[in-house]
Amino acid sequence: MILEIQDVELAFGGVHALDGATFGIDEGQIVGVIGPNGAGKTTLFDCISGFRRPDAGRIVYEGADLVSRPAHDRVALGIGRLFQQAKLWPSVSVRDIIRTAQHRSLKAGFFRSVLGIGGAAAEERRAARNADEALELVGLSAHADKPAMELSTGMLRLCEIAAIVSVRPRLLLLDEPSSGIAQKETEALLPLLRRLRDTLDATVLVIEHDMPLVMGLADRIVAMAEGRVIADGTPAQVQVHPEVLQSYLGTRAVPA
Amino acid sequence: MTEFLSTLPGGIVTGAVYALLAMGLVFTYKATRVPNFAYGALAALVAFFHYSLVTGRHVSFHLNVLFVHLNPGWTVRLPFWGAVFASLAFAAVAGLVIERFIMRPFARAPMVTHILVTLGLMLLVSALAQQWFGANDLIVPNDQAIFPRTSAFALGSVKVSWEQVGVIGLVLAFGAALYWFFRYTETGLAIRAAATDRDVASLQGVSVRRLSLISWVGGTMTAGLAGIMLASLVVSSNPSTLVLLSIKGFAAAIVGGMVSFPIGVVAGFAIGIAGEIIRHYAAHANSTIFVGADEIVTLGAVVVVLALRPKWIFKGIREDEDAGVLARSAGVDLAIGRWIDPVEAYRLWRASTGGLISPAVWTWVKRVFPFVLGALALVFPFLPLPEFWTFPLNLAFIYLLVVLSYVVLVGWLGQISLALGAFIAVGGAGAAIGANTLHLPFPLPILTGVLLSIPVSVLVGLPALRLRGLHFAVVTLAFALVAERAIAPHFVGTANVLVKPSYLSSDRPLYYVFLVLTAATFAFAARISRTKTGRAFRAVRDSETVAAAYGIQPTRTKLTGFVVSGAIAALAGTMVAYELGSVQTGYASVLFSITWLAYAVVAGITSLAGPLIAAVLWGLLPALSQGEVHAAKISHWPEVSAAGLLILIMAFNPQGLASMARFLRTRVSAHEEEPDEDLRAIEAAASEERPKVGAPA
Repeated sequence: MILEIQDVELAFGGVHALDGATFGIDEGQIVGVIGPNGAGKTTLFDCISGFRRPDAGRIVYEGADLVSRPAHDRVALGIGRLFQQAKLWPSVSVRDIIRTAQHRSLKAGFFRSVLGIGGAAAEERRAARNADEALELVGLSAHADKPAMELSTGMLRLCEIAAIVSVRPRLLLLDEPSSGIAQKETEALLPLLRRLRDTLDATVLVIEHDMPLVMGLADRIVAMAEGRVIADGTPAQVQVHPEVLQSYLGTRAVPA
Repeated sequence: MTEFLSTLPGGIVTGAVYALLAMGLVFTYKATRVPNFAYGALAALVAFFHYSLVTGRHVSFHLNVLFVHLNPGWTVRLPFWGAVFASLAFAAVAGLVIERFIMRPFARAPMVTHILVTLGLMLLVSALAQQWFGANDLIVPNDQAIFPRTSAFALGSVKVSWEQVGVIGLVLAFGAALYWFFRYTETGLAIRAAATDRDVASLQGVSVRRLSLISWVGGTMTAGLAGIMLASLVVSSNPSTLVLLSIKGFAAAIVGGMVSFPIGVVAGFAIGIAGEIIRHYAAHANSTIFVGADEIVTLGAVVVVLALRPKWIFKGIREDEDAGVLARSAGVDLAIGRWIDPVEAYRLWRASTGGLISPAVWTWVKRVFPFVLGALALVFPFLPLPEFWTFPLNLAFIYLLVVLSYVVLVGWLGQISLALGAFIAVGGAGAAIGANTLHLPFPLPILTGVLLSIPVSVLVGLPALRLRGLHFAVVTLAFALVAERAIAPHFVGTANVLVKPSYLSSDRPLYYVFLVLTAATFAFAARISRTKTGRAFRAVRDSETVAAAYGIQPTRTKLTGFVVSGAIAALAGTMVAYELGSVQTGYASVLFSITWLAYAVVAGITSLAGPLIAAVLWGLLPALSQGEVHAAKISHWPEVSAAGLLILIMAFNPQGLASMARFLRTRVSAHEEEPDEDLRAIEAAASEERPKVGAPA
């Protein structure tokens, strides 16, 4: 198990966004998280990547509890996060975004890096090389010098994926990779995400509303509703799970 | 006890004026979400207008067309209260003009744009006030005081004057009227609604534009009333003292989170009373050590309150403080973009012409330019130039570093600090300590000056950098005011002349010292920009949240930038000390900091070319064009032009003049490339909509 979510609870005022969510992920799996709006999926990602602190429960990553670690530390531990709305630095060029994303793997301190001594120059070159490779992987090399604000939503997505790839995370959190982009793009996304997992050899946790995409991508599906896990199994199992159908359609499935 | 009590009336009455200023600021902020840094300048402008009407103002003009020769002139003089009404009408018109012609395009601009634009407005208004009314102090004699200065009554041995009673009464009446306005009128209710959520309010049929107009007119009239009272209370003032006094009103408003009238009013009174008591005892202590102690205590208290971050302050905080400051996406968000989107216009222009200079040529020019410049700089003193050029040339190096300091902090890191002058003072003080107290040989005092700035940066930066945007700007403003009033006086003037070796007594050797220091600092800054520190700066500037998601610690990054920028300013301070003997008050002042911030933004705050442009345009040219003859006459045109340009540039392109160069060199690229199959599909699908990157969620 690379990640275990144990009884995580988080309330905003009277709203229980997470209400005892529990599940675990094995190394190398692609796990899809589905559920209606307000099921607590993004809040769960926020807890895993450290932007929110759960009221109760444990988040165990590679055997250690994450809850008290700050967000920027978790990047160093190998947790990469893709936001629901592509969030990048608008005025920074694509190539520099990917270099900036590797901040944590450049070890040189302020003076060493500014003066380019003690291996700092080699580190910078490595970061530049990683950036070029990552851009190659997602096919953005031609746009490397454009600032992020000049990219379309789909290209921003790719840029963000490249940024995450360049830090070589072991656990990848993807929050609705298909949101805000058109159907055609979504179809292109599936092979790309698969290729990503294979190249990185990473574990992937993906929130997705696009059912064909997530069912085609994931090895396993976790369905959430009202802050709890209501179903957990293969895509085929979850698709016919009565509680899942109820939470999506509001009625119990009539057995055929 | 009696002595203590005797300070109270003065304290209460000053506090009342601060409270009034705070109310006006909160009024504007509630309705428009604009923190009006021009507030004090507007107060000063109206006060000067008023007293020039009271003493009599000579109005004349010349008309000389063909056979018509007219030269009418008459003196306008109004009785005191008549002048008050005329001045408030003038204030209303000023507010109307400012709202309609300056602020309206910025209705939806990000916070940092609002800060920069109102700072520009402040420079513009205070320069205009000085241009129209002269730089002489405004002295309000007894017969022109707002209320008679005669004793109204006495409580024991504490005398209270009619002026004090009257001012307190006016402020209380104004507060009551404001309370009634917000409580019982439809407009007041609309403003409260808009303060909570502008979008929801406008969906409910509230005209946000009308509220903006009302609040600017009302806010400027309040500022004018406060200015008239302040000028009468302090007896002798000039535009800059009134601007500085009004910073206290700003401090009070921000303690109330910019939205709370009661907290702002209480804070205003507290700042006024505490300041008066401390000033009284400091004056009695008979030691120059206590000069400015009141500033340290009152503004220090404001900083402490802000740093403790009580919930009420951040209740009214704007959501967009995380958005990229000078990111061009800000330009897209400006309302003016609806008519002419600058980014779109730029893109279209580029697509149609393909740019003027090819990228390869540009890269080459960029590589060679520093060397050409360096070679020129080396031989400059030997060129046959007029004698008086040497001094302005040396000063130009100082301006280069001053603007570079802003480039690092504002342009790269996105933090608006107004404490630059304070760091210049710190650098000068450090050099003086090194040379005069520690008797260090020549290059070392420069080092002590720079080193001294580091602990100061950390001390100020640690609490200040927990805050963002507006709050950070106000905390640094408070620190700058403390430095100007309480710290700099101890290091300024003839008593602190720097001991320097005899070979540095003329301008030419200093020129080369400055050249080496400046070149080294620019090389250092260029390296920062190209390596991981510079990238972390820009990441934090564009979005702290995303920066943290990629493992960049925002606070640590901001502190690094603050220290670097402070050290550069301190280096400039040591240079001032070597050039002029000691740091003159002018360099350590808040106004100097704000003026050069405006120059820096106009010249290009994100680029290393910016300092060069600014130093030449506003450091070198004015000095050279005035030459020896006019050196004594101070012109306000540099400030006025820069402030006007600042506002224009914020409206059209937040990246400043330096980006014009980029504008010339960029070629169309998107149309020439052949993206691979996969991507073309993605692009085609996504080209329907433009993303609004960095816009607040």
